[in-house]
Amino acid sequence: MSNLKHSPGSAPRTPDPLRRPGRRQVLVGLAGIAALPVLAACSSDDPLAAQAGNADGKNYIAGDGSVLEIRPDERGEPVQFSSTLFSGEPISTDSLVGDPAVLNFWYAACAPCRVEAPDLQALHEELEPQDVRFVGVNVRDTVATAQAFERNFGITYPSVEDLNGQVLLAMTDYVPPQAVPTTIVLDRQGRVSARILGIAERSTLRTLITTVLGEQA
Amino acid sequence: MSHTDAPNQRQDAELPALGFTGTLRFLWVQLTSMRTALMLLLLLAVAAVPGSLFPQRPAGPGIVDDYISDNPAAGEWLDRFQMFDVYSSVWFSAIYLLLFVSLIGCVFPRAVKHAKALRSAPPRTPRLLSRLPEYGKVVLESTGPSPRDAVDQAAKILKKRGYRIQVRQEAEGNASVGAERGYVREIGNIVFHLSLIGVLAFMAAGSMLSYRGQKILVEGEGFANTLVAYDAFTPGSAFSEQKLNPFSMTLDSFEAEFDRESDTHYGQALDFTAVLGVRHGPGEPEQTTELKVNHPLDIDGVRVYLVGNGYAPEVTVRDGIGNIAFQGPVIGRAEDQVYTSLMVIKAPDSEPDQLGFVGFFLPTAYTGEDGVAISIDPELLNPELNLNSYYGDLGLDTGEPQNVYVLDTDTLTELNSRNLEAGGITLSPGESYELPEGKGSIAFDGVKRFVGLDIVYDPAKWGVGIFAVLAMLALGVSLFVRRRRVWVRGTTDPNGYTTVEYGLLARGESFGLREENVALRRQMERTWPVQAPKDADDAEGGPSTSDYKPPSGHDAHPVDIQAAMPAIHRPPESKPNTTENRPE
Repeated sequence: MSNLKHSPGSAPRTPDPLRRPGRRQVLVGLAGIAALPVLAACSSDDPLAAQAGNADGKNYIAGDGSVLEIRPDERGEPVQFSSTLFSGEPISTDSLVGDPAVLNFWYAACAPCRVEAPDLQALHEELEPQDVRFVGVNVRDTVATAQAFERNFGITYPSVEDLNGQVLLAMTDYVPPQAVPTTIVLDRQGRVSARILGIAERSTLRTLITTVLGEQA
Repeated sequence: MSHTDAPNQRQDAELPALGFTGTLRFLWVQLTSMRTALMLLLLLAVAAVPGSLFPQRPAGPGIVDDYISDNPAAGEWLDRFQMFDVYSSVWFSAIYLLLFVSLIGCVFPRAVKHAKALRSAPPRTPRLLSRLPEYGKVVLESTGPSPRDAVDQAAKILKKRGYRIQVRQEAEGNASVGAERGYVREIGNIVFHLSLIGVLAFMAAGSMLSYRGQKILVEGEGFANTLVAYDAFTPGSAFSEQKLNPFSMTLDSFEAEFDRESDTHYGQALDFTAVLGVRHGPGEPEQTTELKVNHPLDIDGVRVYLVGNGYAPEVTVRDGIGNIAFQGPVIGRAEDQVYTSLMVIKAPDSEPDQLGFVGFFLPTAYTGEDGVAISIDPELLNPELNLNSYYGDLGLDTGEPQNVYVLDTDTLTELNSRNLEAGGITLSPGESYELPEGKGSIAFDGVKRFVGLDIVYDPAKWGVGIFAVLAMLALGVSLFVRRRRVWVRGTTDPNGYTTVEYGLLARGESFGLREENVALRRQMERTWPVQAPKDADDAEGGPSTSDYKPPSGHDAHPVDIQAAMPAIHRPPESKPNTTENRPE
């Protein structure tokens, strides 16, 4: 493409509608067009999507440690479920109302669950005098396997057997767990006030629970 | 010339010619040109090649990881250029998006143009019909109709044959009719292209709204459609947790049927049936359904496919202290037709040392002379566990995710294997084995079956299907419907007889134009008292209905526009394709 068909000076200055555009203009335009699909295809940093093409075979959806905290006036309805503890005792959310509660979704062979277990137990012991209820929800294990875990980590709070996912399903109406482990803090009315996807860091969880403790029922 | 010579003049010479909008318009014209579309199509084909040269993540992420670890230097760079995700790569997307923008920019103006053509009258009657590729002439007896009546009748014949017609009165009592048919061809063409755009639009919608997950379910276990319950999950780009339908299901039982009659295919799988209890939501009643291969369940728009199955031996691992460290079914990954299943058992909660087991589950074990047991049948005729055992740190306590089907033995000490004095562990159902050094024990309690489920939600799939079918139908129409024009003119010859001349023209290729000529002539001969041709000179035009000669030579030329022009100078070699009417 010749840009210099007309020599300077003798060149007619009238715009020629049939002229082809200059190389630079074409390049700028092409760059613009080329950028369109790039923009369209630009992916957000979605930790869930990132696990999709991953061959780690870990067999669970991992969390990224993200924390969601909900202000009292924005919290949803009180969580409702009833199930059975590994000990055979029934448990329902009605029995949790009145005190803050912490739900922890876990199973024994889940590596991050094993990391956070000592912290959860420590917080349980620390906050038990203030009537904070800790309840584990085991999503994979048989009774014996779960009890081995509890024995190993000295877990003293009870866990619900949820191999069939009925508690998980009940939670989908509120703030659903999206990973293993997921830790959910319920306020005194039984509403979800906070959720941690992934390993629950001790001080973070303590802060979230303290917030709820300070609220009136 | 370099930039330094005359930068200002250069600017002056360029910029006034095309402004920003002008440049955009130029690029748009370039993009929507047929040449660019073909280039992009070609480029798309070339860009798809790496997809078959390199392993692709969506097909098998494990193979990609192996490839990268085998070729660390090249693999890293290939990964950087998205060679392992070719079909979702930026550059591949760029090509097909440009292609479809090009397509849209081409099809819509064309559709508008055709809509106008649909409403316009057939083209003017050429002055010399004899110059058209197919031409015929009949002279009527004196009892025949007048030229104008004859043209009216010819118009009716044409209309009946599916032509759009327009009758034109000419001077001296003459008349002509212009007729055209095959508009559907262009409609088919446009619908085809629009359907392709529809397919793309729905595919794009699907890739945004869809999700797909896998779940292994052992008999008696349940699954609730929540993220936590999935083993693996691939969300669409616009996925949110709220989009998961809150259904749940339980695997009640699983049956596999194997061929027991054929000699050649003995033991081959014939049928798999999973019985599932499905709840459409929390608190809903449970419905029992059968799930078979290729017959997915539809649960409120979510499809559940039966894609795999296998055996899950139930084991109990006790630790060195005597407590149960692990109990339950363990998924065995079937490696072959006879379900030789790879087993990995991890007991991270055993004390004092964590225990791990690796080995095979054999549904029908047979020990050969070399002492190695193999499976010889897919059914549970002689189930056996063959395991090696390890103790040490399983590596789970660091919080790093681990493959459940792999036991990393680097940090473990071998307790049982064929190479050690203790030997490997061989267990039949009901048996248990005490590990050496008092590390614990393992018991083989029984065998359950499991199914692998593919859970897919793609709300846009139907749109893709409908448009794909529409595209095929429209393609058929545009390929098989022929677009052609016919003109008929009635005149009075010097002897006072009504003469009807007609000419045919195909748009595009002219297959079948000759047959149309023959058919038209036959109908005219049936309608009017046609004079037998007097001599060869007079009989120029019109094929005899009994004497068909295939058209020769130049039928598919772009004579379209030329022939439609009334009087045009034509070189002698493009003489109309006429045949003589030989008198019997």
